[in-house]
Amino acid sequence: MFERFTKDARAAVQGAVEVAERERSESIDTRHLVVTLAEGAGRAPAALEACGVRPDDVAALARDAVRRGEVLDADALSAVGIDLDAVSRRADETFGAGALDRAARRSTRRRKHWPFTADARKALELSLREAIRLGDKGIDDRHLLLGVLRADCPGGRLLESALHDAGSDVATLRAAAEQETRAA
Amino acid sequence: MTEKTLVGAAAGDDPTEGLRAVRALRDLADRLETLQVERARQLGWSWQDVADALGVSKQAVHKKHGRRI
Repeated sequence: MFERFTKDARAAVQGAVEVAERERSESIDTRHLVVTLAEGAGRAPAALEACGVRPDDVAALARDAVRRGEVLDADALSAVGIDLDAVSRRADETFGAGALDRAARRSTRRRKHWPFTADARKALELSLREAIRLGDKGIDDRHLLLGVLRADCPGGRLLESALHDAGSDVATLRAAAEQETRAA
Repeated sequence: MTEKTLVGAAAGDDPTEGLRAVRALRDLADRLETLQVERARQLGWSWQDVADALGVSKQAVHKKHGRRI
């Protein structure tokens, strides 16, 4: 699959590894990819701009999310009767604001290799399928963006909320990215 | 997934949702442990006190948290 990646797509994946290294992440997920897709020299930033979203803002949002560490699974916790918001509030009272996020970051060790999370691998896989669906030979950064949007992942949810705030939506971004794909 | 269907799934027999809940619990427990151990140490608890409270050996707790605190 990777042999089909264009220069821009390779740069985005390599960049995600560098973001993880710099931010001392435990692993590379789709939020790391969103940072580099939005900051990259490819066509993904133009697709974002077409939806009225500033790529720099998206990159900053994603970087903040990465800094906050791994996301606790609030839905899964509520399924076993735990109200994460309540636990968070309580922890903030005792240990200071943002205590749970801080604890996650502190437990991360410096490491030599950063594994991709399952959702990031899924997004990469879906980018291949997007390229095939659109009849494109290579996988470029727009296909990666489409893959992230297609996967159920933190990066996709982040994009969704950024689009929503800009008065746009995922369907519009998908259309913009696909159009960019065809025009190329 | 809505809260309602997730609750149903956790109470049901789908391992996917059950294991997802276990993972989330472990993640939350790890973070709370980090915060609590740190605070106990600041309040002057010995590693042995912390280990006894957690029900693990002193070596285990020191290995996990010693470098950080």
